[in-house]
Amino acid sequence: MLRKRITESFGAAIHALNTAQLTDGVINRSKRMILDTLGVGLLGTRTAVFNKALMYSQMFTSEERSTVWGKSDIILPPHFAAFVNGIAVHSMDFDDTWHPATHPSGAVLPALLALAETLPSQPSGLDLLLAFNVGIEVQGRLMRFSREAYNIPERFHPPSVVGVMGSAAASAKLLGLSPAQCSHALAIAASSAGAPLANAATQTKPLHIGNAARRGLEAAQLAQIGLEGNPAILDMDSGFGVYYKDYTPSAMADSACSGFRWTLENQNVAVKRIPAHLGMHWVVDAALAARAKLENTVGYFDLSQIRHITLRVPPSKYVNCPFPATEHQARHSFQFNACSALLDNKVTVASYSEAQINRPALKELLSKVKMETPKDNQPSFDTMYCEAEIETDEGQSYAARCDTFYGHWRKPLSDKDLVGKFRVNASSVLSTEGVEGVIDVVGNIERVSDCSILGSYLRMTSSSHAQLYSTRVL
Amino acid sequence: MMSKLQKTMGALSAVRGIHSAAVEAHEDTVTASFGKFISEVKPQHLSSLVLHRSKRMVLDSIGVGLIGSTTEVFELVLQHCQHMYAPHDISSVYGRRGTRLSPTLAAFVNGVATHSMDFDDTWHPATHPSGVVLPAVLALSDMMPSNNKPSGLDFLLAFNVGIEIQGRLMRFSNEAHNIPKRFHPPSVVGTMGSAAACARLLSLDHSQCSHALAIAASLSGAPMANAATQSKPLHIGNASRLGLEAALLASRGLEASSLVLDAVAGVAGINAFFEDYVPQPLESPNDGHTFLLEEQDMGFKRFPAHLGMHWVADAAASVHKLLVGVGPGTVSPAHVQEIQLRVPKSKYINRPFPESEHEARHSFQFNACSALLDGEVTVQSFTPAAMNRPELLALLSHVHLEHPHDNPANFNHMYGEVQVTLVGGDVLKGRCDTFYGHWRNPLSDESLRKKFRSNAGVVLPSEKVERLIEVVEELDRLGNCTPLLSQLQ
Repeated sequence: MLRKRITESFGAAIHALNTAQLTDGVINRSKRMILDTLGVGLLGTRTAVFNKALMYSQMFTSEERSTVWGKSDIILPPHFAAFVNGIAVHSMDFDDTWHPATHPSGAVLPALLALAETLPSQPSGLDLLLAFNVGIEVQGRLMRFSREAYNIPERFHPPSVVGVMGSAAASAKLLGLSPAQCSHALAIAASSAGAPLANAATQTKPLHIGNAARRGLEAAQLAQIGLEGNPAILDMDSGFGVYYKDYTPSAMADSACSGFRWTLENQNVAVKRIPAHLGMHWVVDAALAARAKLENTVGYFDLSQIRHITLRVPPSKYVNCPFPATEHQARHSFQFNACSALLDNKVTVASYSEAQINRPALKELLSKVKMETPKDNQPSFDTMYCEAEIETDEGQSYAARCDTFYGHWRKPLSDKDLVGKFRVNASSVLSTEGVEGVIDVVGNIERVSDCSILGSYLRMTSSSHAQLYSTRVL
Repeated sequence: MMSKLQKTMGALSAVRGIHSAAVEAHEDTVTASFGKFISEVKPQHLSSLVLHRSKRMVLDSIGVGLIGSTTEVFELVLQHCQHMYAPHDISSVYGRRGTRLSPTLAAFVNGVATHSMDFDDTWHPATHPSGVVLPAVLALSDMMPSNNKPSGLDFLLAFNVGIEIQGRLMRFSNEAHNIPKRFHPPSVVGTMGSAAACARLLSLDHSQCSHALAIAASLSGAPMANAATQSKPLHIGNASRLGLEAALLASRGLEASSLVLDAVAGVAGINAFFEDYVPQPLESPNDGHTFLLEEQDMGFKRFPAHLGMHWVADAAASVHKLLVGVGPGTVSPAHVQEIQLRVPKSKYINRPFPESEHEARHSFQFNACSALLDGEVTVQSFTPAAMNRPELLALLSHVHLEHPHDNPANFNHMYGEVQVTLVGGDVLKGRCDTFYGHWRNPLSDESLRKKFRSNAGVVLPSEKVERLIEVVEELDRLGNCTPLLSQLQ
């Protein structure tokens, strides 16, 4: 007799979780995630990788049409809308990060919005919110099946492992699938999981999120028409367990019983202030603080003062890049982000352009960087720290340490700053009406009766922007 | 459309400035050597033996794909594609007159068809190499403009590149030489092979070929748990589709890791899918390179089930012969006391009472008992009627499995032994070390054509069946592969 208790419990929970179980805390946190994800996605539609994926996706047509965020006149088949929008979300590494580590929202939201647009009767905002939270919850549960998942990854890029499962779960929820179909959606999705970490820090990394969204949606739709996979997919080591070195799954508690708590309630996400790997946020804050110390003591700040820079960081090969050559590498480089902070006294969206990466002053600063990986600095987003120490020509040392950057789950962005980030991102693409419309709809989403209005705001581009930036392709 | 693509690519690489610095730095990597090989290999590098063997693979693969188009899982994915996407009159769907889909979707459904009955070829180290490559190469050929179709030789070259890359990757790992436990091999090396084949057919430059492989790596990997379920055929379908997608994305300039095949500590590339992994660079096709297909032939199945089943079926068939004597007769379960199977240890093909056709195709017990009863296992053995026969179920209840130490879970070294103890006390034994169809004892050309006729004839009229046999036979002499493309439905 096949042991499938755990998979069955997930299928049952996905089916049974209902809107009454959404607490205020979870509603509040997930709405912030949705707004942030839309903003970074809209900004991401200006990137080269998005445009390549869009061109590719336009090979396909269908009768069902779904919105491409930030485009007033392009529609795509739902799978490809989920694909390109997901890519946009992760294109600049500006999207949310959770603990254990993954980027949960980008794998789920694009799939749900694309799917919602094709349903014969439009889901309410609350239905959408519920499905979104189901997708987040499943990811959180799956990551807790493995100790390996708690550390910065080395083998598989987490969104490609749990993200597709979350997308499948969320899509299955919105489609109203039966418990058995929900289980099969997970099983089918599992065969689309797993992309190697080597493609992080390359132009292909955003596709991990785009594909997670797309393939999860596809899995749910295949399950809906009766495709079956292994009904014990989560129970077996040769099932979902293949993506982990240690794997100890457990059943999802009966969602009807009072003991059920959303993982998001216990563990918030981090929202990024700069479009770079999460680890960079620590090193930027430390470098800025060290710079301030130097400036306050000496009275001015001059690059020529600097003899050495020492960075004390956790060991993680794929974010240790002494001389990044591309924007993707730059977003995954402790050295680059520290030096940008020192050079400009800030790190922003603009810091990763080709021109900025190639500045001689920056390169000179990079050559002065030394890295250390202290034993007490573990590669975990929950416990790591970064230290930046500037040694001047005069032999003086100015060091600063960052344990928790502003935006981390221990020190979340205020609502005002979160909405501010959204406004800056979204107005690069949408008109003011579109920007404010999205803020309004998402802010009140639990009261919105027809969530298709969100799509119409996401298509309200500002035409002057469309002209100005149309040449920024490839 | 293709020529426009290539011109655009030329202009773009000049502009690629800063990126080329990153690429040049990795010229001596394993990844770069694969990219170079794919872009530099030419038809004259194919020996006549490789041509012969690969044409047999093409024929067999089309045949199993055609009969596969009658399965439930194929119908399901075809409907899915037709509902989710508008009709796109480009690439043919096996066995369905007038049905075409956009190229990646056609590769998907045709790949599913190919593996839907587990009837497709198997190689050593273990994978199903043709089903992931052929659908993609066919779909891509359909996509090319009618005045610029690949020649038969270009087609065969692309196909062989796809096979070669799969073989090379598997040889990077010792674990890959055994029956798999974690990732289903076609989902790992198959996607890479499809990407390589399509990159070759698109004539991408060496850097784009490398990137196609790297993009494909992020689309690889499916767990073994879905083997023996209805989803398994999608592993092949998706490998084919996604490899094609990777090559198309690379042709548009998408870039990925330039170290995806190299083993970088702390940052896994394709080695994420292997327990042990030691990569080697691939030598230039001009430097004494030999295709692996030259050294290691392909196994073709005689009936639609997991390769391991063929050993026990042949062993059981010889016991059947002993039981019924010279003339036709039936084996009566009432005479059987015990059936012992001596087979390698492999969980996913050890199923005492399979409940679906998928499980039955992955059950030592089922295939041994079917062959004991009927003298052979055929396509018909997996129908519900055949599966539910009381005599069969009775035999199944007598079966015990043993895993002798000298019987490794390895398609190159395993054997199957069937020992039947009759009620009267007589003990009959059969053993198979190398079944007919295994690479050590390959199907004759005649047997292969017979299998093809039997499969293709289920969906195509006999004129088309014979025409296909002819076209594949002369494929390397065709100036244009259209005759092949037009006979598949």
